[in-house]
Amino acid sequence: MKKISIYIALLGIIMSSCEDFLTIAPETSLSSATFYKTETDFQQAVNAAYAPLRTITNDRSWLLTEMRSDNTIYARNINFGATEQQEDLSDHSLPDAQGITTNVHVLNQYRQDYLIIARTNQILTLIDDVEFNQAAKDNLKGQTLFLRGYAYYELARYFGSVPLHLEPVTTREEAALPLAPESEVYAQIISDIQAAINLLPIRSQQGVGRASKGSAQMLLADVFITQKRWAEAETLLKAIVNSGEYELIPNYEDVFSESVGNKNTKESLFEIQYLEGPQGLQSSFLYSFMPRPISLQELQPITGTSNPQPLDGEGNNIPTPDMIAAYEDGDLRKDASIAYVEISGSDRADKVYPYIKKYAKHHALHGNHGINWPIYRYAEVLLFLAEALNEQGKTTEAAGHLNTIRSRAGLANTTASSQADMREAIFKERRVELAFENKRWFDITRADRVQEIIGAFGARALANPLDYYYPAGATFRSIAFTNITKFYLLPAAEAELTPHF
Amino acid sequence: MNGNHYLKIGSKTLFLTMFALLLAYGSQAQSTISGVVRSEGDKETIPGVSVLVKGTTRGSVTDLDGRFELNASPGETLSVSYIGYTTKEVPVQTGLTSYDIVLTSSMSDLTEVVVVGYGSQLKKEITGAVQTIAGDDLIDIPVPLMAQKLQGQLAGVQINQTTGQPGRGMNVRIRGQLSVSAGSEPLYVVDGFPITGDISTLNPDEIQDITVLKDAASTSLYGSRAANGVVLITTKRGKAGQSSVSLNVYRGIQNVPHYNRLEMMDAVEFAQFKKEYFEDAGRPVPAMFQNPSQYEGQTQDWYDALLQTSPISNYSLTINNNTEKMRTSIVAGFFDQEGVVLNTDYERFSLRINSDFKASDKLTVGFNLAPTYIRDNIPRTDGSRGTGILFNALHTWPNMPIYDDNGELTYFNRFPSETGNIFAYPNYVRSALEITNETKETNLLSNAYVQYQPIEGLEFKSTVNAEIRNDRFFYFNPSTATPGMNQAIPTVARSTRDDREIFSWLNENTVTYTKSINDHNFQLLGGFTNQYFRLDRTQVVGDTYADDRLPTIQGALNISRGSTISDVQEWSLTSFLSRLTYNYQGKYLLTASIRADGSSRFGSENRWGLFPSVSAGWVMSDEGFLSTSDKVSFMKMRGSYGVTGNNNIGNYTQYALVNNTVNHVFNNTVVPGAAVTSLQNPFLGWETTHQFDIGLDLGLFDDRIQFVYDFYTKNTTNLLYNVQIPQEAGFGSITDNIGEIKFWGHEFSITTRNTQGKLLWTTNANISFNRNEVIELAEGIDRVYGSHHITQVGQPFGQFYGLRKLGNYMNEEDLNSSPQVPGRSRVGSIKLEDINGDGIITIGGNNDDRTIIGNPFPDFTYGITNNFKYGKWDMNIITSGSHGNQLYMLHLFSTANLDGVFNMVRKATDRFRSPEDPGEGIFGTTVGGGNVTGIERDWANSNFVWDASFLSIKNITLGFNAGAIANVVKSARFYASVQNVFIFTPYWGGPNPEVSQQGNGQGDGGNLSPGLDLTGYPVPRTFTVGANFTF
Repeated sequence: MKKISIYIALLGIIMSSCEDFLTIAPETSLSSATFYKTETDFQQAVNAAYAPLRTITNDRSWLLTEMRSDNTIYARNINFGATEQQEDLSDHSLPDAQGITTNVHVLNQYRQDYLIIARTNQILTLIDDVEFNQAAKDNLKGQTLFLRGYAYYELARYFGSVPLHLEPVTTREEAALPLAPESEVYAQIISDIQAAINLLPIRSQQGVGRASKGSAQMLLADVFITQKRWAEAETLLKAIVNSGEYELIPNYEDVFSESVGNKNTKESLFEIQYLEGPQGLQSSFLYSFMPRPISLQELQPITGTSNPQPLDGEGNNIPTPDMIAAYEDGDLRKDASIAYVEISGSDRADKVYPYIKKYAKHHALHGNHGINWPIYRYAEVLLFLAEALNEQGKTTEAAGHLNTIRSRAGLANTTASSQADMREAIFKERRVELAFENKRWFDITRADRVQEIIGAFGARALANPLDYYYPAGATFRSIAFTNITKFYLLPAAEAELTPHF
Repeated sequence: MNGNHYLKIGSKTLFLTMFALLLAYGSQAQSTISGVVRSEGDKETIPGVSVLVKGTTRGSVTDLDGRFELNASPGETLSVSYIGYTTKEVPVQTGLTSYDIVLTSSMSDLTEVVVVGYGSQLKKEITGAVQTIAGDDLIDIPVPLMAQKLQGQLAGVQINQTTGQPGRGMNVRIRGQLSVSAGSEPLYVVDGFPITGDISTLNPDEIQDITVLKDAASTSLYGSRAANGVVLITTKRGKAGQSSVSLNVYRGIQNVPHYNRLEMMDAVEFAQFKKEYFEDAGRPVPAMFQNPSQYEGQTQDWYDALLQTSPISNYSLTINNNTEKMRTSIVAGFFDQEGVVLNTDYERFSLRINSDFKASDKLTVGFNLAPTYIRDNIPRTDGSRGTGILFNALHTWPNMPIYDDNGELTYFNRFPSETGNIFAYPNYVRSALEITNETKETNLLSNAYVQYQPIEGLEFKSTVNAEIRNDRFFYFNPSTATPGMNQAIPTVARSTRDDREIFSWLNENTVTYTKSINDHNFQLLGGFTNQYFRLDRTQVVGDTYADDRLPTIQGALNISRGSTISDVQEWSLTSFLSRLTYNYQGKYLLTASIRADGSSRFGSENRWGLFPSVSAGWVMSDEGFLSTSDKVSFMKMRGSYGVTGNNNIGNYTQYALVNNTVNHVFNNTVVPGAAVTSLQNPFLGWETTHQFDIGLDLGLFDDRIQFVYDFYTKNTTNLLYNVQIPQEAGFGSITDNIGEIKFWGHEFSITTRNTQGKLLWTTNANISFNRNEVIELAEGIDRVYGSHHITQVGQPFGQFYGLRKLGNYMNEEDLNSSPQVPGRSRVGSIKLEDINGDGIITIGGNNDDRTIIGNPFPDFTYGITNNFKYGKWDMNIITSGSHGNQLYMLHLFSTANLDGVFNMVRKATDRFRSPEDPGEGIFGTTVGGGNVTGIERDWANSNFVWDASFLSIKNITLGFNAGAIANVVKSARFYASVQNVFIFTPYWGGPNPEVSQQGNGQGDGGNLSPGLDLTGYPVPRTFTVGANFTF
């Protein structure tokens, strides 16, 4: 019996240490309970809030905007199936049913934007509870608000009305919110970016590549232009011009990022950053933009890699004949933006295809480059300013800014003098100056010219499939250009999970 | 101690001493009697038989010649018992001093003692649903894994070999248990130690017996790990009085039979197909295909080129050295299997030493030590286009050369694009030969125990168990080889190193008190246990090598940061357990038990789980009204109810994890980034299963027919599930305990001794019907999708889901009068059912026409084992089968790609070509390209779903008992065995109807997608000859 009591005593000792024995926190990752405590934690959190932008611009912005417009199209490789996710976007035949769409690119765009929003909400909720240097905190908050505003602006332009999350979700019940009216979303966007402008340092005092005051001013100007709030846009744009932080690079060809060099130049207000190499931070969009099937011998001169691999499948974001024709004679930007490649594997009699040259910069290894993606350039500041001025009747002042852009392109001054002609001249100038920078589609939507421009473009394409890269005997699907809309429908996969749409 | 000394004279010396002592107590009337014990049928003598004088402590054990000697008086009764034989009672007669006793063999003797959780019990008194198999019954079956040997032999246990990869791929499901995302493999307990790793490291020759615990009453002492059932494995231990050396050897060859391979087009058929493809499309036929007959005799069978006939061999040496104080059993094993796919192999070195030392009458200590080393190499044979060499080889064009003109293996093949060849096909024979995909595993399983009996009936036991494992995985593909599709050679050389170190310990402390008061028999068990597990893992992935001969880490030009992992996984478990067993006269039986489990895996607000059970039995044949019946020899009713858990929910699932590798870059400089990547759930807990079981054990005609029936019903609630949430939240899911699945089923097994006498024929048969239904999922969610599956409330789990095929559009009229896929359907393309009646065919979205199109689970599974003994000959035939299960022939998305991109199944020769030539109806028109053929290929539909019922003759063994050979070999047995003799099945999609690409029960998230066929590694047919010698 004595032994039994020893046993029981032992049992008691072991029981009391139970809770310690049973509490094991993960050793190789942090948990929310231990993070968000220091300035460094918040720096890392803000860095991570930028990260989805890499995916967005590398993988699909160009699908949802440029290839949606009349600037580019896919080049059909009839040996390939299962390409409808891209084709449906490009030839305006997205399946829609009861207000939602199953298109995977639409879904992923939506989800990536909300990833930015969730990360920024997490920061904004917690950062004020932690004491650290005020200037550093303001800068981090400013970047965070800029990113949240940017993400909601993307959503507002793609979808119009979306759920408005401003607090981090912590439970299942909080996950789904009702759709906020477009006006409410825009009010939040403006308030976020305005706050960011007040908090952010100017470019020269900001970390290179991060959102600065100028980036935020430009983003807000963009929002105002979309909303046709011309005077407010003019004020912001002039503040950028007058800041002296930015200038045009003399030679258009030199404007664009290379794989390693020529990043975050004086012309750049904001660009998405990539890094060539094995760190997993690379871009690869150049490969998406190649006509296919392309052999390694045909690809190598374009990419300059030491280990080229052939590419199969279907080519995307191929400049349309309309785009090529949009350049005036003598426009230096044409050759800087578009080049041609002959691919022997093509089923077409004419095996020569145009491709986007702007981003065709040499790099070391196949499928891995560090080319940055431009979001806002100083050239667009000037074109926006011209537009804002012209819309307020200051057409002459507008012409000056437009001509600055034209002269760099080797073109004579504009002949437009009426407000309407000037509007059209700026619209055309934006197309060529900002070709393949994902601007065209939103230029068309905010001008409310979707049916007019895309309708006509579709009719031309359907009538001449050979010109739009179909091989002889093949043509567009019967559903092509049957569903031309300004907004994308909300994604079906999300609709299944929320009671609100 | 001198072992040899005891080996020779141990038993006699021991027992003579004992008898001398016993004599002192005995009555004067006792006299020495002797005898020999033989087995019925072959009349061989049996060593090790226990001979007891009933009602006394006097007894003996037969020696190696089957002889015994003891003191007994006339009028007393000898009770003669041995495992596997019916106990016989022999009255001692006046004047008779020599006895010749014959024992009748019995498949499952009710006096047999069965190992149960934390103890053992008389089989007769068991109140739960358990089944036992002796290791020796499995020894002839020439396969490396225990689970392979058990196929077809257990009622209620479905064991599928999902791939033929040597040493891998067994999927064991007890009573159809499954879960949405937690693991479904049973808990394996080796000598009382619930192991954390893979049971496949165990050499099956070490197994004494296997007990499968099926109902909650038997398993609930394993608490939060018991819901999937428990398999108790007892390894060989020395038995008192027996010392022996035995050697078990077999060698054989394996091959892949031709009769059930997937039939692909030969070069002529393929060229003909391509020719027709271009003609039907109105396009010019490429020169290569204008004259298909030019390929007569030129077929390159890429699949066959990957196969070989290969050797298999197994050696195990068992030494038992037993003395009064020390009993030791040693099993040393070497298993070596070369795979039937080139460059695949598996080898296992194993050793086990089990020792028990009786320090005094009250104190026993013991230890087990079992080191194992396993090395295997399987160069990415299974999987889809990205990774599966076999799958890729199957659909490589049959006119692509395996060898070039110089007889060297080609590197890759690609014809000009106008032939429709849009992919580069690496030479997969080269891939198999040059790719390394090797695992080296060192495993050390050890147990030690102390057992102390201070007074009679009271026993303390403490055990310390440890499992140490080291896995080293190495993958390398040189620049000349890749398992993937569409990669030109040279490709990028890649290497992966994944090293894991696992350490787990368990301390268990139990006290058992056994007491009988009159006819009331009690046993009370109490205990507490602690277990801890830690895994340290490092993975390094490198690519782009300067030299293929040096696949070192430093030789890689790139170390892939994104794939580099260092990880620690830990868990701990503390438990308290108790069981009360009571019976009255061995007739009315009652057991109640409870376990409390606290686990680090459970959320801080939900740390402890309670798992109670109760069971009762009634041995009706002991009642007066039945005991006189000469037909019913045994009858027992039993019932049980209990609660068990499944804690395979991940180690850190409850935490909101911050991923600190969400890095970004500014101006070419990497900056560290961190983000919350999961939501926390402090209430996270185990999955709970409530199970009710009722059973009947029946013995008829002196146990010549033994019958066991069980009905069970169980409800698994609190299913661990990643509840999807709208990603506007920034997260895809939260892990929560939700929903309920109901399972129920019937199990029958019957053992009959069909003939006795010269020819001894016994049959073991079992059949099981397992069903399930999803009762509830998360609030607001009535369905969860798998890859081609749906799990829906009110339906069975994991059903195939897609569009229902009605046929092909036979002509214009048919097309115009039927619902179509807008812009895609045409004459000859697949005609699908418009389930929602809206006039068009849609997949997904709100106008979805998908419906349930098949069931991967069988209506019933069964097994029949026939055993024949005739004189010195014996023969064993094992069959197992499954009926009503379907497979999703997923590989058709490639092997029946109507765009002529790949080589195709032969059946596609007979496809729809025109209204006049509509074909067999399985495959549609090739005209219209991907826009048309993509429906049939890319949309999940019933054309992929095929009956995969099967009856498989798993094993036939013919043996010959040669008896003693000279003075060296005490007994010898020789046998020949064929494994995987033949499979009868209507399934045509590949050689293995048990295949499953996903849902292997490892909690891989594939649970929702069972029954996918991507043509894995074929299961070989194996011919072996073997011998067992006892020295």
